[in-house]
Amino acid sequence: MISSLLRIIAIGRITLTEAVRQKVLNVLLIFSIVLVGSSVAVSQLATPGLDSAGLFDAQIKFVKDFGCGAIGLFGFFIALLSTAQLIPQELHNRTIYTILAKPVRRSEFLLGKFLGIVLLLALSVALMSLAFAATLYWQEIEGIHATTAAYDGTPNWRANPTAVNSYNHDVQLVITQVRDPQIIEAVLLIFAKLVMTISIALLISTFATSSIFTIITTFFIYLIGHMESTAREFWLAHGADASIWQTSLVGLISLLVPDMNSFTIVDEILAGNKVPWHHALSLLGYADVYIIVLLAVSIIIFDYREI
Amino acid sequence: MMESSAPVAAPFAAETVGLTKRYPLTWKRKVLVALDRLDLQVRPGEVFGLLGPNGSGKSTTIKLLLGLITPSEGEARIFGLPPESLEARRRVGFLPENPYFYGFLNGDETLRFYGKICGVTGAKLEKKIEDLIELVGLQNGRERPLRSYSKGMLQRIGLAQALIHDPDLLFLDEPTAGVDPLGSSQIRDLILQLKKMGKTVIFSSHLLEQVQEVADRVAIFSLGKKVLEGSLESLLTQNEGTQINLSADVSPEQQARLVDALKQAGIEGGAEAIRFTRPHLSLEQLYLRTVQTQADPRAKNPPVQ
Repeated sequence: MISSLLRIIAIGRITLTEAVRQKVLNVLLIFSIVLVGSSVAVSQLATPGLDSAGLFDAQIKFVKDFGCGAIGLFGFFIALLSTAQLIPQELHNRTIYTILAKPVRRSEFLLGKFLGIVLLLALSVALMSLAFAATLYWQEIEGIHATTAAYDGTPNWRANPTAVNSYNHDVQLVITQVRDPQIIEAVLLIFAKLVMTISIALLISTFATSSIFTIITTFFIYLIGHMESTAREFWLAHGADASIWQTSLVGLISLLVPDMNSFTIVDEILAGNKVPWHHALSLLGYADVYIIVLLAVSIIIFDYREI
Repeated sequence: MMESSAPVAAPFAAETVGLTKRYPLTWKRKVLVALDRLDLQVRPGEVFGLLGPNGSGKSTTIKLLLGLITPSEGEARIFGLPPESLEARRRVGFLPENPYFYGFLNGDETLRFYGKICGVTGAKLEKKIEDLIELVGLQNGRERPLRSYSKGMLQRIGLAQALIHDPDLLFLDEPTAGVDPLGSSQIRDLILQLKKMGKTVIFSSHLLEQVQEVADRVAIFSLGKKVLEGSLESLLTQNEGTQINLSADVSPEQQARLVDALKQAGIEGGAEAIRFTRPHLSLEQLYLRTVQTQADPRAKNPPVQ
C-alpha cells in the first residue's frame, strides 16, 4: 500500500515538474496573474470611484467578478491543455513503456499523472488567488481613501458624530466586502470544477488517439455539463409531453455528464448573496463522487489499452 | 493488474507457447497478424538476438513478453510468471527503441525517478546511481539535461534505467539504432559485460555483424513468423570445406609447397579446391580500429592504413 503510494507520488512529482517547466503554461500563468492584477485599472474605467450612493461597492464587486472569472478561465486552459497532452506525450517520448515495464500498475501510473496535474492546478490557482488577494487589498486601501476623500469634501465633518458614524459604517462596508470569507468558498468551488474538468479530460485521453481529440471532446462535454440542467428543468416542466426518447436522452446525459451549471452558485457569492457553507460542501462532495467515478472508469479503460 | 503469488522456479528466463498477436483492420475488413504462433525459450544467462526486417514481429514479441500488450492467442511467461504481474516486472528491465525520456531531467534525476518507482530509495539508490553511471560511462551526463544528450548517450542512460532495480532479464529493442559505430560498439561491450554479470539479455537488431558478436543464440523473424532459431555456432558453420588461418605472409613459392604438402596428405580436388587469400577486415572493424586509436592518443597500435 505504502509502496504503491510512493510510486504514485513519484509519478505525480515528475508530471508536475514537467508541466512547470513547460514555457506555454508559465506564460499562461503569468498572463493570468497580470490580468487579475490589472482588474483594478479595468474596474476604474468601468465603474470609477464611488457610486451614486457614495459607496465603493460596484468597483469591489467588479474586481471580484473579474478575479474569479480569470481564475476560472485560465485554470480551465491550464487543466485542459496539460491533461490532454499527458498520455500522447508519454507515448511520443516512449517513457510510458519504460515506466509500465517496471513494477508499476497502470492504475498507479494514471493516478500519479492525475495527482501531478491536480498539484499543478492547485499551484496555479494558489498563485492566481494570491494576486487576487493582493488586488482586493489594494482595492480596500483605494476604497477607504476614496470614502475619506468624499467625506473630506464637507468641512469639519469629523466634529459631527452622525457624519463620523456614517463614515465608519461606509469604511466598514468596504472592509467587509473585501475581506469576505465567502471568496474562499468561491475559489474552492472553482477549483473543484476545474478538477472535474481534469478528470473528464483524463478519461477521454485514456482512449483518445490525439490531444486535439481530447481537447475538443472535453470542451463539448463541459458545454453540455453547463446546459444539461436547463434541459432537465425543461424536461421536468414538460415531462408529460416528452417522448420516451427525449426522456431517456436527457436522463442518460444527466447520468453521464456532470452538472457543471450547479457551480454557477459562485455567481451568487460574487453578487453578495449568502451561500451557506453546507451548500458549498455538498457541491464539493458531488464533485468528489464524480471525480472518483471518472477516475475508476479511466483506470478500467487504461488497463485494457494496448500501448 | 493483480499481484501474483510467489515466483515458481522456472527453467526459462522467457518462454512463449503459440504466442500470437493479431490486429483487426476494421476499415479494411482484414486482420494483420503481427506475430504468428511463436514458440521460444530463452535460458537464464543467455544473450538472445531477435533478428529480422522492420515489421517482422520483433518489437511485438518484446511488448508481449513485457505485458504491455495482450496476446490474441498463446502464452508468454517470464521466469514462469505472467508478464503483467508485478513479480515478473521486478525481474525485467526494458530499453525501448529510440527512447527520449524526460528531456528536462539530468542523468542523475532520471535514474533517481526510475529508482523510486521501482521502490529503490535512500543510500541504496544513490549507490546504485553511482555504479550505473560508471558502468555505462556517463560521468559527463550526470548534470546535463537529457535534451542535450546525443543518441548514444540516450541509449546508455536508457540501459542504466533498465538496470536500476537490478533485474535478471533485460529486453533491449534496437539498442544501437541511430547510434554511431563507436557508440554502438560501446553498447555491444556493455551487453557482453551484462552477460558476465549473469544477466539474461534479449535484444532485437538488424545489424547482423553486431548480433554475431554478442548473441549466444538467435531467432530470425520474417512477416510475423520465426523462420530460424539456433546457436550462432550451429547456424553459421558451413559443413563443406575447411578453413586454415595463418598469421604469417605466404609467398607464391611457399603456397606451391603447401599445395604439394596438402596433396601428400591426400587432399585433392584440382586448382580451385585450394585458394590463398589475405584476411579482410569488415568495414566496421576498420572504422572502429581507426576511430578508437584516434580517440585515445596513448593507444599502442597505429591506425590501419
